[in-house]
Amino acid sequence: MSSRWADSEADAAESKRRKKEKEEKKRLKLQKQQEEAEAAARAAAQQESRPSKRRRLSNDDEDGESPKEKTDSQRNLLRFEAGGWGPCRHASNFETLNHIEEGSYGWVSRARDLATGQIVALKKIKMDYSQQDGFPITALREIAILQRARHENVVDLQEVVTGNNPNEVILVMPFVEHDLKTLQEDMSEPFLASETKTLLRQLTSALSFLHENFILHRDLKTSNILLSNRGHLKIADFGMARYIPPPGAPLTQLVVTLWYRAPELLLGAETYGTEIDVWSLGCIFAELLLGAPVLQGKNEVDELALIFALCGVPTEKSWPGFWRLPNAKGLKIPRDSSSSLKTASQIRTKFPFLTAAGVDLLSSMLALNPDLRPTAGEVLRHPYFSEAPKPKPMELFPTFPSKAGQERRRKASPNAPKRGDAQGLQNLDFSSIFANREEQAGAGFQLRVV
Amino acid sequence: MHTRPSPLANPLATVAQLRETSSQIDNIPRDLEDSVRFAGARLTQAAGILLRLPQEVVAQAVVVFMRFWVGGEGGSLVEFGAAQVSAASVYLTTKLSAYPKSPRSIVNVYAYLDSVSFPSFATTTTTDLLERENKAGDYFVSEGTYQTRKLDLFETEQRILKVIGFQVHVSLPYALCITYLQALDVFSHPRASELAKRATAHLNTALLSPQLLYLTHQPPSLATAAIYLAAKETRIKLPDVEWWEVFDTDREELGFLVVALLSVENFAREEERVWMGRRVPMTVEAVEAELKRRNDSDD
Repeated sequence: MSSRWADSEADAAESKRRKKEKEEKKRLKLQKQQEEAEAAARAAAQQESRPSKRRRLSNDDEDGESPKEKTDSQRNLLRFEAGGWGPCRHASNFETLNHIEEGSYGWVSRARDLATGQIVALKKIKMDYSQQDGFPITALREIAILQRARHENVVDLQEVVTGNNPNEVILVMPFVEHDLKTLQEDMSEPFLASETKTLLRQLTSALSFLHENFILHRDLKTSNILLSNRGHLKIADFGMARYIPPPGAPLTQLVVTLWYRAPELLLGAETYGTEIDVWSLGCIFAELLLGAPVLQGKNEVDELALIFALCGVPTEKSWPGFWRLPNAKGLKIPRDSSSSLKTASQIRTKFPFLTAAGVDLLSSMLALNPDLRPTAGEVLRHPYFSEAPKPKPMELFPTFPSKAGQERRRKASPNAPKRGDAQGLQNLDFSSIFANREEQAGAGFQLRVV
Repeated sequence: MHTRPSPLANPLATVAQLRETSSQIDNIPRDLEDSVRFAGARLTQAAGILLRLPQEVVAQAVVVFMRFWVGGEGGSLVEFGAAQVSAASVYLTTKLSAYPKSPRSIVNVYAYLDSVSFPSFATTTTTDLLERENKAGDYFVSEGTYQTRKLDLFETEQRILKVIGFQVHVSLPYALCITYLQALDVFSHPRASELAKRATAHLNTALLSPQLLYLTHQPPSLATAAIYLAAKETRIKLPDVEWWEVFDTDREELGFLVVALLSVENFAREEERVWMGRRVPMTVEAVEAELKRRNDSDD
């Protein structure tokens, strides 16, 4: 098996080199064209506008220096480039090898680019032709965002191709062997501390980049995170992502897969921001440490109960204004100080092998109050990443057989909420969350603030 | 093709795309194509105003509209009407913005603009147009017509996406323009707002340029040229050095853009003279009729 992988990797490297060459040629050609265009523009400008300005300028600069020479030789003006555009190619340029997965949003398969031999992942967008809104907004956002979000830890959208059917739209991305979720399910033990650190750092660096560019991912989870056989991590699936809108514009609360959903979303907050991605990041950190998702709630109510059990119960002090969130009204939280219920976080107990710095980082990412969570940039600078054990270099990552590349055997896991799903979020009844525990506590005290 | 794009940059049309368009391959005279594109851009702007869209969103829609027509593989006037492409550009752009508009609103607004013969040159300003009294019956869209137009809107949206390879992102020079004015310390001047208004007006004018300035020049250069020209017009003195280089624009490009911006006015006057009393053909059928008219008058 290993030889088989070595083969295809060599192939991939070779085809990558060829593709690079080709791109280089294309680029040179384009550059030449642009130079021609610039020359033409210059000629035009010379004809039409230059004489008068030249005269004026030479009057201004009478200190003897020749401004022209200076401009040409020394001043280096920034040139901005963002390519061009052309019509989508046809899907017949690719040969499908095997199907990988069917998600809520489209079909993914592994394919070969017939021209270059490169192995790619094709993601076919499900076009829902009940057609209320034309081209699916999620797909449109995903494409628009991926085109702008070029980062080494974000999946690289190479092109969009179309099929025979006019409704067929397919995203072409480089094939990556694993997703973190499937990989973890197959591992007998969780990642090593050094490996976890490398993964978390790559993930956070991508997230920091996205947030700096005003992009919310809104569906971070291990099944959306790809890992190559060389330990290179890439965030994928931007079907939920969007640009941070101007203040006041409505945002849907129905985002993020339940197990990774931040408490403010569960409580129905109408405005939220990058903090929800940091919460998901915390969940993923914990999942990497445990080898399994940390907060596997059965529904919204159960999820919130699990969150409170792990992270403690919010108080007016730790999360001011939390009671004013729409769904907090039904919440009956037992009086904290006297009861046996812990307001304090259980994270240290739950992760006995994590260092103090690690516990500190995880607790801060899983802070109930979104304002207390660090930004992705702050996470990157946390001492956890500089203390021993050092992050394991990517090249030293173990390799695993790839499910996506060879076989399909997957377990079901919940998906992000769909657009137009139950509007029920408004009326969630969280009153039963503490029902069981109150009996155990026995004191019978309840504090209900509305 | 995959160098990391600057967030300030736009994809630009290639020389080949500018040299020959799909419409020209289909024997549409160049001047007619220019007229239709100009009218289409004005139509898009008017629809944006009626839809209460911020100018940034309108500008993006105009750029998407313009991208669609360039190049031999672009859209052709033989196959697509400018009104239909304008509507779909607006729909598409608003969908990605923070101000989505329903197909219903789009269809209604374009029906209204059609009922007042926009874009014609009879009405002088857009404000005039919006304040005109109208009979609702003139632009009522029946349920059947609405369904047909909605499907057409969706279909055109998809065709635009495919023709421009999903390049819907547009970087705009408006915010840059303000930043540059601040950097030039203009706002301490008593007539600074006059200058800023003129500069913004030039950026809006550039959207309509037959030279497709937003498809051939990057936002920093557009902003710089708009400021240069506005400062000349308002006689506000800017620093006595080659300040445009600070904003990554060389003198040749600046000169070219200033001339291009100034030429739009003459182009618009000429359009008005040519089309006075007639409608610029905004549908496939109207383009056909116009071609026929030209052939007949040649005979």
